[in-house]
Order: sequence, then structure tokens, then C-alpha cells
Amino acid sequence: MGKYVERFNARERILHWFVMLSFFMLVFSGLGLYSRIFHGYFDLFGGGEAAIFIHKYMGVVFFVSSILLFLNHYKEMNSFDEDDRRWFRLLGGYLDRDPEHINSGKFNAGQKAYGLFMGIATILLGVTGFINWFPASFPIGIVRLSLLLHGTLFLIFIMFVIVHAYLTTIGNPGTLESMIYGNVRRIWAKTHHPKWYKEISGQ
Amino acid sequence: MAESRMAFLIDTSRCIGCRSCQVACKQWNKLDADKTVNQGTYENPRDLTSNLYNRIRFIEKTDGGNLKWLFLNERCVHCGDAGCMKVCPSPGALYRTREGFVAFNAEKCISCKYCVSACPFGVPRYGADEKVSKCHLCFDRIGAGMSPACAKACPTQTLQYGPRSGLVAKAKAAKKTLYGEADLAGLGVLYLLDDKPEVYGLPANPSIPTSIFLWKDVLKPLGLIGFWGSIVGVLTHYVTFGPRKLEEENSEKGGGAHG
Ligand code: HEM
Ligand code: SF4
Ligand code: SF4
Ligand code: SF4
Repeated sequence: MGKYVERFNARERILHWFVMLSFFMLVFSGLGLYSRIFHGYFDLFGGGEAAIFIHKYMGVVFFVSSILLFLNHYKEMNSFDEDDRRWFRLLGGYLDRDPEHINSGKFNAGQKAYGLFMGIATILLGVTGFINWFPASFPIGIVRLSLLLHGTLFLIFIMFVIVHAYLTTIGNPGTLESMIYGNVRRIWAKTHHPKWYKEISGQ
Repeated sequence: MAESRMAFLIDTSRCIGCRSCQVACKQWNKLDADKTVNQGTYENPRDLTSNLYNRIRFIEKTDGGNLKWLFLNERCVHCGDAGCMKVCPSPGALYRTREGFVAFNAEKCISCKYCVSACPFGVPRYGADEKVSKCHLCFDRIGAGMSPACAKACPTQTLQYGPRSGLVAKAKAAKKTLYGEADLAGLGVLYLLDDKPEVYGLPANPSIPTSIFLWKDVLKPLGLIGFWGSIVGVLTHYVTFGPRKLEEENSEKGGGAHG
């Protein structure tokens, strides 16, 4: 019995990297538009017009890859059972130094919620981004709301991503390997996703 | 800007609809003519364009079988609290002049079109170069001690340029509807109207649109709290509850799992 089990296949990993890189390109190209404080970020792209240009086309890359990733994992995310409700009650044990055992499946309840949020936010950012792209083609009230919504989703998204990045790296050592090599150690699977580990290993 | 603020007072009842102001502005700013079509009205062109910074709006009013014209010089009204400046992400693309007007610098404009959405009066336009354009209140003439081209050309003194406080006092003495005295921290272009603002196609109570206010005055500051709050939050978690270390690989000890 090998030391590792597969968690994400190559297709899933590549999609994830597309989503992540385009996301950061979008953040950095959008920052200068978000506030004049961040005007300097335009220089990364060679000026404001270039940043807007890149933002629009990176938006398309992000939209497509994020939707594909969402559809890929949708089956694993769209149902919540009793163990998931327990995860929410205990906040995943993250506010406890010696947490109780929670019997999570392939994704725990927090990851499922985050995944569903990603899907919805991607669609809304895509739709509002499209409206901002062609402001003259929509009623002015819609464009105003769309600018507000795009900025709001950006902020919520960034906050989720900060927590996500923490939990998948230094917050839970051993997790990052799953996105780089696709494999995780058995002990990791047993610890974090016991129900899933049982399914794939039969023990 | 309070003391030295300059303004336009536009006394609509004096206007005879000759459109000298339209022509003078085009001449001074070297703006090309737009091709228009006859639409059965003397009003021409029918809308502001990137080549037309001001125009006379012809309002046809019937009263007791008689047709009456109302004329309004339509242009950027140089808001004291300007929606366009509030949203513009590119410093210097829209800026306030020493006289208190809102001018633009096309070289700094990054063509985001945010100003179009934020203006309560629907003023900013885009040319083929995708840059903002609108009345800049002849900053280049005023700076050289001349009066604005449109005011200079007006044969009836409908367009009066001068210190704002003086014009406000004069307008009040006329006992007509004064538009723009206090709205949006005071408009730089004040109108004396013979009828309700709506009749002229002006918003009765112009203000920064709510969604624009929420976007720039609420969301933006919240953003800094949200961003740094999240960073501080996860770092605090790291040093208090700490990371979830895995048990030694070979130890059989269960528990400690949190999934
Ligand atoms: C999903 C596809 C997306 C599209 C099509 C899109 C498109 C746009 C467009 C057209 C604008 C206005 C830019 C302009 O023309 O001036 C904009 C603004 C912006 N976008 Fe996106 N975007 C997308 C996703 C994202 C994502 C994922 C983020 C970051 C999480 C983001 C962050 C921003 C920010 C910060 C702004 C400035 C808006 C503000 O001031 O609130 N966008 N986006
Ligand atoms: S009228 Fe519109 S373009 Fe002119 S200063 Fe006010 S907000 Fe800006
Ligand atoms: S289009 Fe130009 S002037 Fe208008 S908000 Fe954007 S950068 Fe500023
Ligand atoms: S003030 Fe100058 S720029 Fe503005 S409408 Fe008159 S002539 Fe044109």
C-alpha cells in the first residue's frame, strides 16, 4: 500500500491553476479601478488602458475556467448531510485547539459552501463585468448597479480567497500537495476527510 | 473654492435660440461638425456629442393652443460635488480648476466610462478616440483672462459669467426659479427658469445616484477593513488556535481529526 492517495486529477489541477492565475491577474488589473489609492498597480500592466484591456480578456479566461471547475466538482459539493451540519455547528473545529472528530466526505461543509459561492460569484462577476464592458448598451441604472455589485463581489471574493489560501497552506500542512502533485498522504486523508478515505480505500 | 468660486448664470428667458454659443464653442475648441438629419424640429443637433459641448434644447410647450418655445443651454453644470470626479480612477483626467469648474485632460483619461454612469445630468461623451469630452468651461480662455467663448458670443447676455456669489444675489433679486444654488454642493452653472425644472428636462433634485454613493463612499472604505481584517484574522488564527498538524504517520492514534 503506497503512502499516497490521489485527490485531484491533472485536469482538475490545471483548471484550478487557470482559475487562480487569472483571478490574481483580475485582482491586480482591477485594483487601480477600484480606488485611486491603487493607481500604481496600473504600472504592472503598462498603464490604465492596458490594465482594463487585460482585465476584460482575463475575465473571459477566469469565467470559462471557473465555470468548468465548478461543473467538475458540482456533484461533490451540492449535498449537505448530517456530518456537514455538524461541521457548521462546530465551525469545522477551527475554533478549538483539540477539536472533536468530524466525519467529512471528499469536501467538508466549508469547502462545499466555498465552492458554491465561487460558482455563483463567477456568474455574477461575469454578468456585471460584461455590463461594465459595454456601458452604453445598457440602461444607466443597470450599469450603476452593476458597478456596485462587481466591486462588492470582488471584495467578498478576496476575503474568501484569503481564508481559502490560509487553510490550504500553512493552516493545514500537507494540503498544498494535492494541488501540486495531485496526491495526498494517507494520514492527511484519514485526518481531514475520513468518510472519503473510507470510500476510496475501503478501510 | 468657496470665496473665489466663479459661475455661469443662464437666464433662460433671455435666450432667443440663435445657437451662437454652440458655434462659438466649436470654433474655439476646434470641434468638427456633426452630420445631422432634419427631424421636424428647429432643435439641432438633438443631443450633446463629443464634438458638441453645449447646445440649445428646444422645448415646445403648448398653452391654450399657442406654441411656446423654452430654450435651455444644455451642458456640463460643473457640480460642486461632482459624480464624475468621484468615480474617475485616473488622477488628473477630471480635475477642478482654480475657479471651481470641472475640466478634463484627455491624455490622462483611461476610457473606463465610469464618469458617464456617475453623472446625474448625463453629460460626458466619448469620441472616436474613446476619451472623455464635455464643457471644460474654457479653462484655457479664463486662465488667460478672457471670458468663455460661448458667453462672449451670446448676443442677449443669456450666458453671464462672473463670481458665483454675485450671480446668486442677482438671480435672487430676479425672483424667478433659481436652479442649482445648493444642489450637489452648488452647481457652477446656475439656471433661471420660467417653469419647473422637469419641463426643461432637468432633474428636480439632482443628487449623486445611490448606487454610486454606495460604491464609492461605502464599499471602498469597507474594502480596506475587509481585506486587512481577513489577513489579520488568519494570522491571528495561526498563532492562537494554530495549524492542524497531522499525527505521526505510523502512530495508530486516531482522534484529533477535524475534517
Ligand atoms: C468574470 C469575468 C469578469 C469580467 C468580464 C470583468 C470585467 C470587468 C470590467 C469590464 C470592469 C470595468 C473595467 C473597465 O472597463 O473600466 C471591471 C472592473 C473591476 N473588476 Fe472585473 N471582471 C471579471 C471578474 C473579476 C474578478 C474575478 C475580479 C476580482 C476578484 C474582478 C475585479 C474587478 C475590480 C476590482 C474592478 C474595479 C471595479 C470597482 O472599482 O469596483 N473582476 N471588471
Ligand atoms: S454635470 Fe456631470 S460631468 Fe459635469 S461636473 Fe457634474 S457630474 Fe461631472
Ligand atoms: S472615462 Fe476617463 S474621465 Fe471618465 S472616469 Fe474614466 S478615466 Fe475618468
Ligand atoms: S464654456 Fe467654453 S467649453 Fe464650455 S460650452 Fe462655453 S465655449 Fe464651450
